[in-house]
Amino acid sequence: MKNTLSKIWKSYNIAVIVFIVAIVLGILSPRFLSLDNLLNVMTNASLVAIVGLGMTLAIASGNFDLSVGATAAFAGCISFSLVPTIGVPASMVAGLAAGAVIGFVNGLIITELRVPAFIATLAMLTIVRGLTLIYTDGKDLYLFGQTNYKVLSGEYLLGIPTPIWLAVGICLLLSFVIGQTRFGRHTLALGSNLPAAKRSGIPTSRVLWIIFSIVGATAALSGMIISSQVLTANGRLATGLELSAIAVVVLGGTPLSGGQASMLGTLLGALLISMINNGLNLLNVPIFYQELTVGVLMLVALAVNINKGFDVRSLIRRHA
Amino acid sequence: MTENNHRQLLEVQGLTRRFPGVLALNQVDFDVRAGEVHALVGENGAGKSTMINILAGVLQPSGGTVLLDGLPVVFHNPANAQHAGISVIFQEFNLVPHLSVAENIFINRELTRKGMIDWTTMNQRSTSALKRLEIDIDPRVPVSSLSVAQQQLVEIARALAFDARVIVMDEPTAALSEKEVDRLLEIVRSLAKEGVGVIYVSHKLEEVFRVADRVTILRDGTHILTDQASNLDEEKVIYAMVGRALVHGKCPDRNIGEVVLKVKNLDVEDTVRNVSFELRSGEVLGLAGLMGSGATEVVEALFGLRNARAEEIVLQGSTLAIDNPRNAIYSRLGYVPNDRKKAGLLPDLSVKHNISIGILERLRRAFWIDGKKENESAETYRDKLNVRCSSLDQRISNLSGGNQQKVMLSRALAEDCKVLLLAEPTRGVDVGAKAEIYSLIDSLVDSGMAVLLQSSELPEIIRLANRVVVFSSGQSRGEITGSNLTQESVMALATRV
Repeated sequence: MKNTLSKIWKSYNIAVIVFIVAIVLGILSPRFLSLDNLLNVMTNASLVAIVGLGMTLAIASGNFDLSVGATAAFAGCISFSLVPTIGVPASMVAGLAAGAVIGFVNGLIITELRVPAFIATLAMLTIVRGLTLIYTDGKDLYLFGQTNYKVLSGEYLLGIPTPIWLAVGICLLLSFVIGQTRFGRHTLALGSNLPAAKRSGIPTSRVLWIIFSIVGATAALSGMIISSQVLTANGRLATGLELSAIAVVVLGGTPLSGGQASMLGTLLGALLISMINNGLNLLNVPIFYQELTVGVLMLVALAVNINKGFDVRSLIRRHA
Repeated sequence: MTENNHRQLLEVQGLTRRFPGVLALNQVDFDVRAGEVHALVGENGAGKSTMINILAGVLQPSGGTVLLDGLPVVFHNPANAQHAGISVIFQEFNLVPHLSVAENIFINRELTRKGMIDWTTMNQRSTSALKRLEIDIDPRVPVSSLSVAQQQLVEIARALAFDARVIVMDEPTAALSEKEVDRLLEIVRSLAKEGVGVIYVSHKLEEVFRVADRVTILRDGTHILTDQASNLDEEKVIYAMVGRALVHGKCPDRNIGEVVLKVKNLDVEDTVRNVSFELRSGEVLGLAGLMGSGATEVVEALFGLRNARAEEIVLQGSTLAIDNPRNAIYSRLGYVPNDRKKAGLLPDLSVKHNISIGILERLRRAFWIDGKKENESAETYRDKLNVRCSSLDQRISNLSGGNQQKVMLSRALAEDCKVLLLAEPTRGVDVGAKAEIYSLIDSLVDSGMAVLLQSSELPEIIRLANRVVVFSSGQSRGEITGSNLTQESVMALATRV
């Protein structure tokens, strides 16, 4: 019995935490478990989850991407500015493409200029923010009378908002990619041992370009959804998104050292953060305290998650 | 020797350590006296590492006691063990490459004066610790600028500067040249003479017999025997380690066929000049040479890992481009790297995924990997090479060195290679697995495979190769075949400058 429980804990610990937090919040505030509120929680989770799922690929390959927030803003603005000339669907494709191109450039910088991902994407963060501010002249972009852009955030299919569908869909797709395809296996090999990956004939540069292009595209999608929620885009959109994205990936059990990936974990990680934020709101916790609480809770969740094989008794014994 | 030198310094009684599903150590007794070298030998998985880690304070025992000077002690962490005077030199050094030799020697207990680091005293004391080892290294240079052998000596100097009474050495000669090994063994003997108790862990029995006073053998976590080295010989020790005798000697008759690989005037970076040779199917061509001779570089160059040029390289009738590993694999060249951990293993991936990583294109169905085909292929190689794992989905990092190495071979064979480049194929592999790998290579060669073998272990070259090219200072010094092929004849060429 004890063994089964600890086994469940080890493989599904983030799911268990999500479940417990949901129950606790449900008891503290009955409104938390209302359908409307849950959909709201999940929608907010989806915004971070989508870019987090892309980020999971990057982290599994032993890299990460700090430029996703800037990319999200860039894609939102490009897409919004093109709506009057090429229409809504094409402008969304253009936004995705813009994100993918930025990701691809990140990949090129890493493989061709041999700049570590941390530095390369940190530089890109600033460059892309700058580009976006230049492009928009620092002003807000609005979509007047183009409410069909709202399909990304306001529409419901079977009673469920689009972002949730997108997040779940991308999660399933990328789970399949990482687990069942050659590209997925190559990604894990890169993160597990790069010299060994090269020696097994993997075209490591090409794989990295694809990974970063996907990360860029997911960032762009997140950015366009956020813009569509308020039908406004600007150069300051999605500031700090990179850190929340990395946080949900690690919360979900994907180690920063690379070589492993859990897409479902990332999705649940995003859900957990969103639940806590929402719960604190419902409990009327002042906004500054919310920031503090979320930070502390994240630390606890991460510590528990990273040390999942961790034996509490040994800690007690050591300090006894 | 004084009376004092014979007292029990460190002793373990009934030492037991359980891991989930494994009994790594089972009621083991062991002791080391002041002034002796006590060798601890056993196959991988015999429990040596577990024992070392317990003595180092890294692991805690599940049962049994550790006695220091006859008094029970418990090491909760590595600092405890160090303060008690036990210094462990692990196979992977605990040195910080960018810091100086002196900083490494005094790491975590830097000498200070008025709150500032006292460089003068630290450098002086480092110099004197290094002098005790009769080595001439400037304590101010960064450790990364030293050779592996010198780094090892820095580790020993650190142990001395800590006033260690027990020094544990884990496979200390794994990366050393023959000459450096001689030097190290001398140092180990002189440490013992000064009253230090040395626990010497090694696979290499020849060294064990040169250095040890007593030998203890572990197998599968249990204590098999402890005896004076003078009462034992290699045969007896091997038999106790593996529970069976080992074959050695020369290679069996090879059935040699056509030329499959022809290398003409190969230059590699600044190290190798004008190397030419031919390799035929059904043969093992040995590339022998001391460290830095260029033999390693030749193998890596052929696999496209080095900046190299050649007048002509022909593999099975077509020209081989040597610019990257992908081309090499595509041209049916298989490669088992000399450093499994750094360049071979994908530690987070399963045994199955480690085998199939190079052949995913062939296992493809539509745009995904055909799981059934992948399983079948992995099963084939697991059975053919006798890879012992609880499941093909087990993480490769949980396998023993020998089984990991068999997986590396499986990966190359799965790629359907015609020429196999083996670099140090049995490094860090226990005696039993070594024998298995040798007979595996024999049977591959029997079925027509051509093998290029680079090894720094002469007995290995003599056992496998029917022809040897000997390298020194980046040039081939000649070829030896047939009855002329002996350790002595190879050594004679290898030491020619």
